[in-house]
Amino acid sequence: MRASTANKATHSQLRQHNRQLLLRAIYEGVADNRAALAQETQLAKPTVSELIGELIDEGLLVEEGRGQSTRGGGKRPRLLRFVPAARQVIGVSISEDHIMAALAYLDGRIVARHYTDLGGARGEDVIAAVGETINGLIAQLDAPLLCIGLGVAGVVDAGAGTVIHAPHLDWAQVPLARLVAGMYDTPAYLAHSTALVAMAEYVYGPTEPVHCFAVVRVGSGVGVGLVINGAIYHGGGEIGPLRVGDGLGSLDTLLGWPCVRQRAEALRREHTPSLLPGEDEPLSYLHIRHAADNGDRAALALRDELSRHLAQVFAWITGLLTPDHVALAGPITDLGEPLLEQAAAYTREWVGAGPLRPVSFSLAEAPSLVAVGAIAQALHRELGLV
Amino acid sequence: MSATHLGVITNNQHQVFQRAVIAGIRQVAGAHGYDLVIDSYADDETQPRPITLDYRAVAGVCVIADAAPAGLLREMVDARTPVSLVSHQVSGLPIPSVSADNYQGIAELMRHLVIECGRRRVVFIRGVGGQWDSEGRKTAFGREVMRYNLDVPPEHLLRGDFSAEVAARSLQALIASGAQFDAVLAADYRMGIAAVDTLRRAGYVVPGSVSVVGFGDAEEAEAAGLTTVAADIAEQGRRAARQLISQIEGLPIRGMTVLSVRPVIRDTSLPDGPARAGRR
Repeated sequence: MRASTANKATHSQLRQHNRQLLLRAIYEGVADNRAALAQETQLAKPTVSELIGELIDEGLLVEEGRGQSTRGGGKRPRLLRFVPAARQVIGVSISEDHIMAALAYLDGRIVARHYTDLGGARGEDVIAAVGETINGLIAQLDAPLLCIGLGVAGVVDAGAGTVIHAPHLDWAQVPLARLVAGMYDTPAYLAHSTALVAMAEYVYGPTEPVHCFAVVRVGSGVGVGLVINGAIYHGGGEIGPLRVGDGLGSLDTLLGWPCVRQRAEALRREHTPSLLPGEDEPLSYLHIRHAADNGDRAALALRDELSRHLAQVFAWITGLLTPDHVALAGPITDLGEPLLEQAAAYTREWVGAGPLRPVSFSLAEAPSLVAVGAIAQALHRELGLV
Repeated sequence: MSATHLGVITNNQHQVFQRAVIAGIRQVAGAHGYDLVIDSYADDETQPRPITLDYRAVAGVCVIADAAPAGLLREMVDARTPVSLVSHQVSGLPIPSVSADNYQGIAELMRHLVIECGRRRVVFIRGVGGQWDSEGRKTAFGREVMRYNLDVPPEHLLRGDFSAEVAARSLQALIASGAQFDAVLAADYRMGIAAVDTLRRAGYVVPGSVSVVGFGDAEEAEAAGLTTVAADIAEQGRRAARQLISQIEGLPIRGMTVLSVRPVIRDTSLPDGPARAGRR
């Protein structure tokens, strides 16, 4: 919230905003003492002193040594340091078959992960499993819990903290953030899984900060997540049901894993002999990658098909949003760089030179990106960090 | 024994892994006012005795690896005795566990061998067949073989049982067969140390002609200069004890807590420049 809209804010909201301004300035190394903070944030010195005292009392800041005196020869200021170990945050990713949670310090350093297999559980049983998973990390807390971030694929109302519709979990109108906040007496924030992957990749990934950052996540379905000006844009989400032209079906039927499996089997039968595993054998994207790397015609044909379908999504995003960067995430990244390079080449061909600025592409392959994004989002909301 | 005691079931409390786990459990248990009752039923591995721990007489039980049969674990679940497993998981039983990240560890070691050491012909020495860690590491190895498109014939998957002797024998047989390879990944550091010794005795230059790495870390691995991924074993014990005590205090927990591992690059993996292709 900027000063121009501050008149609409309540006193406690304003106070929270000012705390976040100060914390962020110290966290980012912009200022390290009270006078510099007052100058940087334009807050009154007594306000800065009061809020800094509060943050020190809470353990989020410590005073450590003294800095240089000012030119006028004034007193050397007491230096302030952010304490990442003062609190911990839990990020939770809820998918169709399992829940994965991560416990991190305030600088994003992960202490432990916790996995729970859902074993086909649905509805209220999944909510219970979310609690049992979070408990696994509550048991491992080394500092007080600051907040919990949650990520779910489906239709999500991030503002209300409600999962509107997640058919794969048999959830409808589940006030998940409120339920979790009630269980642990701590703030809880909800967002769409792919939006959180975008946040994780934007905050902790290798790409330089950009104005518009998009993630396309492909697993059992297809999702799009956006970070615009450093904040999650909650308008993305599931795009799998979108139909692609006449007779081609939806994106889910072209890129979702259940359909990719079927297509792999059809191509394997068409191009015998094939290195792809047989119908009754385990199949993963790594099997397809391995077969394609060894020149298998079925695998190469499948990779080409998938890269074209991906390029269709990339082209839409590029045309509509002109993002600076698009990252591909999810299990499909196991197909490696050749898939991305093919998809990027088709995208450039289809979008053309046009009025668009160049878009760069990358694979987001780091583990636990939804949970890490949930941590980043929670830190953003609660402390104004990241 | 009483509700002020925690039970620990292990096959052999004197083995390196089990000893470190128990030290971690003891540290956290002590801080919470619990004493340990340890049932180490196979200290003499030639004459293991039955498990005798009375799980009803303790506040909860930590089981190290697969030391307790599934039937006993089920009995404890049915009796509502809090249980935590270390480096193990039993499908179908709602018992939480703590483990090192086997997938991450193997992925780190393979990335090091392929990307940083330039190796392509990797031999894998397995752990105990059917044991949870062993199976996880073997599966992870298979995934990375596909990722890097390596050619690993079946004879390059060597029998092992986490002991130096079996690893050495398996590798000696592979060498005698005339197989060509340029790297060895052992499913634990003891087998990795044995691989380095065996290769050097057979005239190979480690790491000049063959890179060797192993999962897990300890003083012996450091002394041998072995490249590893460090899984803090005592930390696994501490985390398992916290998990168990939280359950005792009424917190329902399901699933597995996984702890990250850390690559430790030492002297047995990075080849020395142009000498790396040759065999002495």
